[in-house]
Amino acid sequence: MAENEKVYKCLSPVGMSMPVKTYPLAPRLDTLDGKTIHICITGEPDITLPLEKKLRSDYPNVNWTSKKSYTPTPVYLTEEEIKTTDAMILAVTW
Amino acid sequence: MVVDLEDQHNMIEQVSLQYGVPKLRYLAASRTLHGEKDVDNFIEPMLDALVRPLTDEEKEEGMYSPPAQRILFEGTLEEAEKVYQQTKYIPHPMNAPVAIYTDGLPIVIPTEERVAEMLKSTSHKPDEVITYQSDRAGKKGGVVRFMPMEKTATVEKVAVNAVMAGCKPEHLPAVLAIAESGCGTGTTTFWGQWVCVSGPYAKEIGMNCGVGMLDPGSPANMPIGRAYQLMAINLGGAVPGVNRMNSIGSPFNSGGTCFAENADGLPPGWKGLNEEYGFNKDESIILVMNSGGYIIGNQFSPGGYRAFQKSGHGGMARRMDVKGVPGPHNWLEYLVPQLWAGREGGYTFIMVPEMAQHLYDIGFKSKDEVYEWLWEKSKEPLKQYRLRSWPDEGTNGWLGIERTSGKRWKELPEDYMVPVVDSPTDNCIIIGGGDEEVCQQLCGRRGQLGLAPVYSIDAWR
Repeated sequence: MAENEKVYKCLSPVGMSMPVKTYPLAPRLDTLDGKTIHICITGEPDITLPLEKKLRSDYPNVNWTSKKSYTPTPVYLTEEEIKTTDAMILAVTW
Repeated sequence: MVVDLEDQHNMIEQVSLQYGVPKLRYLAASRTLHGEKDVDNFIEPMLDALVRPLTDEEKEEGMYSPPAQRILFEGTLEEAEKVYQQTKYIPHPMNAPVAIYTDGLPIVIPTEERVAEMLKSTSHKPDEVITYQSDRAGKKGGVVRFMPMEKTATVEKVAVNAVMAGCKPEHLPAVLAIAESGCGTGTTTFWGQWVCVSGPYAKEIGMNCGVGMLDPGSPANMPIGRAYQLMAINLGGAVPGVNRMNSIGSPFNSGGTCFAENADGLPPGWKGLNEEYGFNKDESIILVMNSGGYIIGNQFSPGGYRAFQKSGHGGMARRMDVKGVPGPHNWLEYLVPQLWAGREGGYTFIMVPEMAQHLYDIGFKSKDEVYEWLWEKSKEPLKQYRLRSWPDEGTNGWLGIERTSGKRWKELPEDYMVPVVDSPTDNCIIIGGGDEEVCQQLCGRRGQLGLAPVYSIDAWR
């Protein structure tokens, strides 16, 4: 066999990933009214300030809650807050 | 419901899958529209995403199991080259093909035989998972996660990447030490990775710490630097336009950047990097930096520098008001006004031995004294500090605590002197290069000593 026809086993350089269990999306709300919706604000105040203002003014029947960070890292909800929150909006992630 | 920016869609999809919610709903805000107009555009679809019934696809659950394979391909070397040079198309914001397994350049095909030869230079077993060898950067024995995809790797996987980069077997301990860092690449803006070897290992493997040490040519510096980037791509899963969002990119990452400290060029009493981090002189380490930004060269001509030090002539002497006064003079004074004019944070100063000696001669008997001096010089009134951009984020919108006073930012007077470098040891000094009088400042902080990204090469022999 010519040298250029020799067959080699060539190894994979790719790292190993653990299998990931995938979940369905959380059930959607039947209505916004009367629900507690959390706004997780991560920076971009040019967008998130008018967003929060408009949500609170245009949707007064929603119980809006919010936590703010100027950085892309969010301020997390406590276990207790998670239990009483119906939905979450994360903005703006980058 | 997530609001992102359009060019981040690829990353959102990848991260959603990584964390087990592959069908996450998201939409884009605008990078350019005024906030109120932007919100008007997306508020209804955003709220609709909270109430619109789930599709069958969105209700699915299951397992995502990426294939784990030891052998990528079996065939001739010519065929293998095509396999390793495969590309995939990355849509906006890249709109171009990117290499799947390489940095875009040809590689050495990692045959089983070549990898076995590479593995002879470490006592670690091929199937050993890469773990922290000390408590410096993680918990000793903890499994290293390669970023951004949080993958793991074995010693053999690292050796495969070292072969591909063109490393010789004696380079493997350094490449394994780099692997221990997890080979981060950062996400947005302008991250650049470079590594510096300190200790006798540099001479052992023939590294260049002299003239042109950041240039091409060294058969030791070049492949070790390249191995970092290949590991980031293959072990970390870093893909430009998906999860590596360097807007323009960094020349540090193009082919990789590795160099060595010239320990013989240190002035008396000045510590090498290994000693700065608590190792002995005869121990070898690698400093792994993921720094924001690029390189600023010295702002004087080497001839002008010599005139300044020898006899006090030329522009440097005029600015420093030492006209006609022979040196040694503190040449750092000349650089200070420009150092933090356009950015905040630490620098790594790579200076040639002669210039370090001048600093020693005028009274800096240790690196620590230089670090302290630079830190003091970095201070500016709060009134001026407020005119910078990054502190808006770093201070959490000025709601946080200023570290040197322990007070809230809003409580401080406008003339309070704020250091634009977090701590004296955010700056770093490395001696290297040729005889021509040059100092280059590599942008980016190195963090606090003890928490800094330093890894033992000896632990991987």
